[in-house]
Amino acid sequence: MANTLRLYLTCIRNTLEAAMCLQNFPCQEVERHNKPEVELKTSPELLLNPVLICRNEAEKCLIETSINSLRISLKVKQADELENILTKKFLRFLSMRAEAFQVLRRKPVQGYDISFLITNYHYEDMQKHKLIDFIVQFMEDIEKEISELKMSVNTRGRLVATEFLKQFI
Amino acid sequence: MDPATSRPAVVIDNGTGYTKMGFAGNVEPCFIAPTVVAINESFLNQSRTSSKANWQAQHSAGVMADLDFFIGDEALARSRSSSTYNLSYPIRNGQVDNWDAMERFWQQCIFNYLRCDPEDHYFLLTESPLTAPESREYTGEIMFETFNVPGLYIAVNSVLALAAGYTTSKCEMTGVVVDVGDGATHVVPVADGYVIGSSIKSIPIAGKDVTLFVQQLMRERGENVPPEDSFEVARKVKETYCYTCSDIVKEFNKHDKEPAKYIKQWRGIKPKTGAPYSCDIGYERFLGPEVFFSPEIYSSKFNTPLPEVIDKCIQSAPIDTRRALYKNIVLSGGSTMFKDFHRRLQRDLKKIVDARVLASEARLGGEVKSQPVEVNVVSHPIQRFAVWFGGSVLASTPEFFAACHTKAEYEEYGAGICRTNPVFKGMY
Amino acid sequence: MILLQSHSRFLLQTLLNRVQNLEKGVEFDNHWVEFDDVRYHIQVSLKNPHILLLSVSLPTPPPEAIFFGGLPSGAIEAIKAAYGVIVQILDPPRDGFNLTLKLNLSKLPPDEGYKHALLVKIASIRETVLGAPLRVILKQLAARTAASNMDRRFAIVHRPNESFFLVPQVGKMMVMFPMRFKDSIDIVLATSFLQEFVEARRTAGLNNAPSCMWSPSPPLELKGAPAETLSANAGFVTFVIYPRHVEGKKLDRTVWSLSTFHTYVSYHVKCSEGFMHTRMRRRVESLIQALDRAKPELEKSKKTVLSRSFKRMSLKEGRINSDS
Repeated sequence: MANTLRLYLTCIRNTLEAAMCLQNFPCQEVERHNKPEVELKTSPELLLNPVLICRNEAEKCLIETSINSLRISLKVKQADELENILTKKFLRFLSMRAEAFQVLRRKPVQGYDISFLITNYHYEDMQKHKLIDFIVQFMEDIEKEISELKMSVNTRGRLVATEFLKQFI
Repeated sequence: MDPATSRPAVVIDNGTGYTKMGFAGNVEPCFIAPTVVAINESFLNQSRTSSKANWQAQHSAGVMADLDFFIGDEALARSRSSSTYNLSYPIRNGQVDNWDAMERFWQQCIFNYLRCDPEDHYFLLTESPLTAPESREYTGEIMFETFNVPGLYIAVNSVLALAAGYTTSKCEMTGVVVDVGDGATHVVPVADGYVIGSSIKSIPIAGKDVTLFVQQLMRERGENVPPEDSFEVARKVKETYCYTCSDIVKEFNKHDKEPAKYIKQWRGIKPKTGAPYSCDIGYERFLGPEVFFSPEIYSSKFNTPLPEVIDKCIQSAPIDTRRALYKNIVLSGGSTMFKDFHRRLQRDLKKIVDARVLASEARLGGEVKSQPVEVNVVSHPIQRFAVWFGGSVLASTPEFFAACHTKAEYEEYGAGICRTNPVFKGMY
Repeated sequence: MILLQSHSRFLLQTLLNRVQNLEKGVEFDNHWVEFDDVRYHIQVSLKNPHILLLSVSLPTPPPEAIFFGGLPSGAIEAIKAAYGVIVQILDPPRDGFNLTLKLNLSKLPPDEGYKHALLVKIASIRETVLGAPLRVILKQLAARTAASNMDRRFAIVHRPNESFFLVPQVGKMMVMFPMRFKDSIDIVLATSFLQEFVEARRTAGLNNAPSCMWSPSPPLELKGAPAETLSANAGFVTFVIYPRHVEGKKLDRTVWSLSTFHTYVSYHVKCSEGFMHTRMRRRVESLIQALDRAKPELEKSKKTVLSRSFKRMSLKEGRINSDS
């Protein structure tokens, strides 16, 4: 199980290394505006082919690049009902704090659970390999956090039950 | 028919020093507890790398240890008696600083003190006027996601304090709220229910400083109060014996001429030995509250007396609101309960205002006479928790439920809805 | 706080306050609501400072558990037995309430210990009244005289329009809770908690605790019950209570634990959601730290007055000037 995670993340990392070549590009349509082209998708010559990396049916990663921006959308595995709600809760928590994360998008792309938007400004402010490190670590952390939350729910259920039943002894 | 609207709403006023909580429709709050949490920090320092053998035990200790905390007076007592609990003050200067502690505080308020089911009641919370909108979003997140409240309204505490004055005066939504709490004093002008944010003035002198000053005076005079208790004793002395005088010099003379009438006795019991002791309370009776009118006797850093600050605040407000603001100055907060505080404040403020009017008339050579400015400081018996009372009054009006943000809206639009809380018809 | 206390904190605080200031007349009128829609109203008038009027309203019972005479069966006897002469039941109760009591505080026992214990018992009025029918049935289990009620199903109200069920059997009592929650996240968390009850029971230390089972569909003993009572979005929990759980002092605790089981689970579901928030906040902090590491080292500018005027313009400022 851990092996496929490693392969998946390495694949994503390599794709990002290749895809992350962003430069400043003022908007072609509106004067003096500068927009992330990957969001608008109005000029096909500015967009590269999107890459979809699937770990299995449930987990995939979509990387769309344009000349001045890069969008990464993730779909996270949700094995059962509990993981489903924990994932929803955690990702909603993160999305609300998107401003603190700078590269996080406030709403995920349709069909995915969470999305990043990296523009050339972020690219200029931060070192490329460290930024990719951050994205990959983010993905690992999400997976780790969901499984830890699930474990904590089970452990807590056990303790709640124990305390309740102890009263009768 | 939403059953939650048939039940009284829960009103919680979180202040820097004290939290007042209770149900709408009541005259006083059910509980007034200091805003402090005593947490057992051991669960936060759980090392991540623990051997497989005892991870279960450690994890169990960690997972339930977060329920091992106390709030309010219990927290203060526990932290004094045992070192496992660390005190944490979630609210500083009116802003929530530590959201973990705040969430826990609310959890205990709702389940342990009020013992209500949050899913059954609409909630009215308060905030300070200059809070960032993100703070309201975080509050909404906690209330809707953790406690599943059906509806939430976050009111500005100054507006509620104005609403509390309804019992004594007409429903005026324009006025200046002088909120003297335990941690800070704020002078907030409100026009038609909206706070004029740029005119808010704060002074760094509040209830705690009065207590410290009383404590200092008693210590300087050499009263035999046990040192570990001296702050508590000073606080009780302040609440029981302090009053506001009209003139310090005359008051000193009065005290000196008739000591028997003015000097009071404080009786207490030494905590370590259990032996009773008594001490005199003299000048601090009127010097304590005098700190607001002559701050230089207490602190060298701050010199502006309270009436002057209020005057500056009103003068910085839009010119068409000024007369209405002078007419309705509302006091709120425990430290405004000193005897004759409002009278002294009104007198001093009227002096400043009259002097200004005279000066302007002199400049115009006496040809144009302006109407006298009416200065009115409103005082009523529920000042101590005026904000809570205002909340209770407002949450009992039928329009309140419509003005709240509901859980359905939160699920649909996200926490951003909590940023705005409109002033509603029930407030008028 | 892990377990729910049986007394109302505000009621106890009010009673203690009044007892300490018995002679001081005061006007006091307060009403509040507790979990499961139990409402209280308390009134003290200036003229009679020793008299306290306490009214309690109980959750609306579902059709299978209606109160005959406005109060649960056995409630009046329980009140008389617990409180004695201090309490007088007023008939009819105050409008909108099931029960109004007139408390005469001057009749409290003089001994401090007894007085405090009695005040705590008065503050636990909810347990006395709502738990009365359950107490009656469990007492029969303790005395092993439940033979006449074999296989009869009792419904006891514990939340507005909801009840739980008791089915006496030979030497034991089956207690069944249909668990319902309003919020979808609560349902999933509660289901996982309730399934843990079965697992937890298996540990060696809890051998003497009541055995418990969880199932998503109604248990056999509830066959024939009306359909509305059998819908439960978080499954059905069954406890098997034996006489050893209800003898002597344990009876009170068992009655309270069973009466507030649903609230207990709901409380812990909410606490664990709060705990999750704590974990998530810490995780967000560590991620933001990782992001900060991605930024290049800021030039260490000496904070002297001289160097301030020579602060090098960063790329961002250059951009701000060009993007007017």
